[in-house]
Amino acid sequence: MEARTPEDRLRQQYFDLLPEIQRVVWQLEAEVRYHTLSILHNLGTGEQLVVDSRVKECESALEKLLRIKGLEGRRFDPDCAGEYSLLDLPDLAAVRVLVFPNRRLDEVDRTLRAHFQDWTAKPLKDRKHEVLAPRYFGYCKEVSGAVRAEYQVVPMLLGLFWRVEHPAMYKFRRVANSRQMRRRRDEVEHVLAHFEQGIEPYILPRSGD
Amino acid sequence: MKKPDMLFAANYRYNLDRDLFVNRQAKKAFSLEFVDDKPAAAVRKRIEEATDGSEWKFYFNRPPSEGVRRLLEQDLEAA
Repeated sequence: MEARTPEDRLRQQYFDLLPEIQRVVWQLEAEVRYHTLSILHNLGTGEQLVVDSRVKECESALEKLLRIKGLEGRRFDPDCAGEYSLLDLPDLAAVRVLVFPNRRLDEVDRTLRAHFQDWTAKPLKDRKHEVLAPRYFGYCKEVSGAVRAEYQVVPMLLGLFWRVEHPAMYKFRRVANSRQMRRRRDEVEHVLAHFEQGIEPYILPRSGD
Repeated sequence: MKKPDMLFAANYRYNLDRDLFVNRQAKKAFSLEFVDDKPAAAVRKRIEEATDGSEWKFYFNRPPSEGVRRLLEQDLEAA
């Protein structure tokens, strides 16, 4: 019988962890929804706040582990199979808060930060290292001390674009990572931010805000 | 000239699955990390380095183990 590869072991670990990852997602999503509820109830016409969540997919987790470990050639060493763990990933469970317009973003970020004070900040940046959105990593200790989670607060148009773009990047990596497509992605992100800036003055908050 | 352009000019192609610059004819492969970390002159020297082409030569910051080397050779031969 052939020896199990590092990938085999990691896939087994993934499915062993899956119920715990799911519990972390539920917990984090519930907390984020609860703490942003008062903002949601006071949104004006045209303003939006949407909470999205996901469990990282198995193959995506393996690929991410190769990258964060900096394994040159993007191959796990078959002689070190026991040294790899998906628990080294910072984002097996994740929640994304989509906010429109941008003036609500700081408010949502501050509100959540007050609750998740001990989480580590690591903002999302573009290729020129400019901050696109706040992002935090930490544990939902009520349900897991092992599975790390992530939440982000992102401009809605950008977040909706990423919802389509990220899976495409993963499935069609060969094309999506080409220089031409990376440039196009930068252009889209720039144009969406520009559109939000242009429309923001016309989206009025509820009177009294 | 930027380091990746030096490699492309020397008939290397970028393997997106493995993040390697590969020249199948010369049987040479550079890791992305090696190219990022080393100065241009060092990369150029390795590009110009003659090999007999009988076996794959990997330019990594940390030389690949035998197991990894075997897997990468299979990947690159099949690509």
